[in-house]
Amino acid sequence: MTQLISFIAIAVGLGVSLASLALRKRVEGGSDAMLRAKQALSSLQAGLLPAEMVARIFDRTDLVYVESQASEDIREMFMSERKLVVLSWIRRVRQEVNDLRSFHLGSARFYAGLSLATEISLGFDFALLLLACRALQVSVYLGGPYAAPRMVASTAAIANRVCTISERSLAFLTPAYVVPAAQQAVIRPVR
Amino acid sequence: MDVQQAADDFRRRSLSGYPRPLDRLIYLASMRDYNTGLYYHDGLASRYSQEVACEAMADCHREAFRNLLGSSLEDLVDQMDGYMSSTHTSPLDFLTAWRKLEPYRVAVPVESDPLSAQFLFSSFKIALAILESRLHSQPVALSA
Repeated sequence: MTQLISFIAIAVGLGVSLASLALRKRVEGGSDAMLRAKQALSSLQAGLLPAEMVARIFDRTDLVYVESQASEDIREMFMSERKLVVLSWIRRVRQEVNDLRSFHLGSARFYAGLSLATEISLGFDFALLLLACRALQVSVYLGGPYAAPRMVASTAAIANRVCTISERSLAFLTPAYVVPAAQQAVIRPVR
Repeated sequence: MDVQQAADDFRRRSLSGYPRPLDRLIYLASMRDYNTGLYYHDGLASRYSQEVACEAMADCHREAFRNLLGSSLEDLVDQMDGYMSSTHTSPLDFLTAWRKLEPYRVAVPVESDPLSAQFLFSSFKIALAILESRLHSQPVALSA
């Protein structure tokens, strides 16, 4: 009888340990996804999607200038350089959007109070955006950096919409107060 | 507030001598310690503090980077031409050194977005090629 009780106690103990481990893993995974989503959002909003940045990358006046100034070799070099940059832009947007999507698929519902309609519309936008990125990638690969200006504009518009909703989902991570500039002056050595 | 004040002070006293964003970017990168990434300027540090001066110069560096990024290719070529003339080196030596050493790669602020930096480096490469082609087509005018 004593043996049975001790076996049951050990089994219960093991069960509790396993459950707590599983729960902790989910919470840790959630915080990783949140961090990645926060970084993806900031990278999209500050680096990849600002209108002036998109306009600069896809600005045709640079091409006009190169055509008016330089030889055919330099024109080819320009087109190939711009193509590399544009393909990097698309790859980065796609990658950051994927991180945001993982967050929304996984942990967003535990933290963000999005309505069902918003979640459905967001899901649709994610699918559309990933498809648009792929289509844009193919167009640029085949037709060069200036092949699909309208597709660029619509991709950036959908990405901005996704960012706005994701910003709301991640708002709870943003401090509610503004740190004074003087306190922000912390010197961080480069590692 | 101090950082903003120090940045304005720095723009007024030091950066006013460098009207082109390219010159500002290179000047500010030269004020940064390669080993630590910290900016040093004795005059500014004595008026404020080392921490505030460092942060103010980092702000100005980011601003110069943004301005240069927003410049058209034509403008970048003009800025490079102007900068090249201001160094008083032979255009051929300058262009060869810049093409081989790519010094602009260490001139960007530490936390620049990688795509923005890639775009700027690519534009530098094209601008150098344009200046080189001009040098070869008008050797007398540029090497004077």
